[in-house]
Amino acid sequence: MQRRTFIKAMGAGAATALAPTAVKSARFRPSLRYLRPPGALAEEEFLSRCIRCGQCGEACPNRCIKYFSTENGVASLDTPYIIPREKACILCMKCGEVCPTDAIAAIPREAGAIISGVKMGMARVDKKICLSYQGKTCGVCYRACPLPDVAIRVGMLEQPHVSQACVGCGLCERSCIQIPQAIRIIPNRKGA
Amino acid sequence: MSVQANKPLFIWRHLNKLRWLVMSLVFFMLILLPMLHVYQTYVSAHAYDLLSPSEQNFYDFMETITAPFVSDPENELDAIKGTTWSGTFFGLKLSDPLAAAGQVAASLKFYWPFVLTALIPVAFTLVFGRFFCGWLCPATFLYELNTTLGVWLRKAGLRTGNRRLDPRLKYIVLVLGLLLSAVSGSIVLAAVYPPAVVGREIYYAIALGGFGVGAVFFVVTLLFDLLVARRGFCRYLCPGGALYSLLGRFRPIRIKRIVENCNDCAKCNAVCEFGLDPLRDNFGMECNNCSACIAVCPTDAMTFVVRMQDFPYQGPGHLGRHYRRQQGKKQTIDDSDEKA
Repeated sequence: MQRRTFIKAMGAGAATALAPTAVKSARFRPSLRYLRPPGALAEEEFLSRCIRCGQCGEACPNRCIKYFSTENGVASLDTPYIIPREKACILCMKCGEVCPTDAIAAIPREAGAIISGVKMGMARVDKKICLSYQGKTCGVCYRACPLPDVAIRVGMLEQPHVSQACVGCGLCERSCIQIPQAIRIIPNRKGA
Repeated sequence: MSVQANKPLFIWRHLNKLRWLVMSLVFFMLILLPMLHVYQTYVSAHAYDLLSPSEQNFYDFMETITAPFVSDPENELDAIKGTTWSGTFFGLKLSDPLAAAGQVAASLKFYWPFVLTALIPVAFTLVFGRFFCGWLCPATFLYELNTTLGVWLRKAGLRTGNRRLDPRLKYIVLVLGLLLSAVSGSIVLAAVYPPAVVGREIYYAIALGGFGVGAVFFVVTLLFDLLVARRGFCRYLCPGGALYSLLGRFRPIRIKRIVENCNDCAKCNAVCEFGLDPLRDNFGMECNNCSACIAVCPTDAMTFVVRMQDFPYQGPGHLGRHYRRQQGKKQTIDDSDEKA
């Protein structure tokens, strides 16, 4: 009898602990700046398509794909994400290749296909922090960019200018030598 | 040489060992695959010198065990990938039928390239019933070890749970899970389905440096099995088990009791992980053809048959006390008839 009441109490405790996380959904947490893997569908569709098999992470040679616990709401439990400042996507496109449900679309590893098919986000330069805009020639983001002169062009003193072709892989943010980073990816979770 | 009808094929007594071998192999692969993945990432980074000493040890170890088989580990170790939930097996994409069902429910449409990956598992389930639960499920491997632990605890004088719930509970879990997936638009079944959780959590632990919340869920199910009901989660709550039971309703491969050999010792009932009643020919949808009852039977009274339905109760075993007493009674009645 005692055991039963204990289990009931545990169940009730778990329910109350989980209730707030269930309400807090991904779309209402702008502070958590994460990217979905390259070629991922729009957020709602992605969540309904993804089966949480974890194969994208297992295919990722850069190990940049990590998996949510409950911090982004239970709806995105065990779904893949990328935090570009920690480790950015190298656009190898293997995750889309292995995804069984095509929640991450299979996109060939070619510049044209990637530019048109991948839209993880878009880089934005904070000119107040960026060294090149402070008169100290830097250009690290430009050199890190897998699509140089297409996604990032540089002007005087190697000041970066991001174009619409940016796919949001985050390699620029990863490589930025400023702390906090002067260039960061603004996530786009509406798909390509 | 003809096989006697009332004797099981001798190999069926040993299938249980094969089953343990297969289960251990699947579990071992779930540990090995993330290790191979981590090794591949080290290789592709071309940065052996930048690894920490422990990572270098790991690299050396993985190189030692893979070098005899592959020359290009970065690309040649991809034959088997993923988990039992969904994965690639020598170029063939396979998925758990529950993954397909849950995904269809979550997105409310059939995405055929994915749904068809569950076709082969479904076909096997139609023939062999819940075989996945007994033969492949990595959670079953741990749950059966957990049962053994329970036996030891009982021997040590501790009380373990042996409650019986209604096995139909799991169909409610399945339907609720599918409904919740449809309403929330995300496959919630993946979070409460032990084999998916185990595969995922082992990957997290090895490749990402720590267990996730799924590990907590799994430990809770282990405790449930230990303290409330033996193999309780699989018997009463598992949504995957529910789906397989439904699919395996008319499985042609079944276990049958040979009543002529049975001596009513009830070891089959004691050993049955799913709490079925082989002694009274009551297998039903739940039986996963694990063959543990065949292995344990001291008089060779259990065998596999090809038949779409269970046999109705065949009466007490012919080598048992009850049957002899019945026969004795009949005998005396016959004798008295003759005298009269």
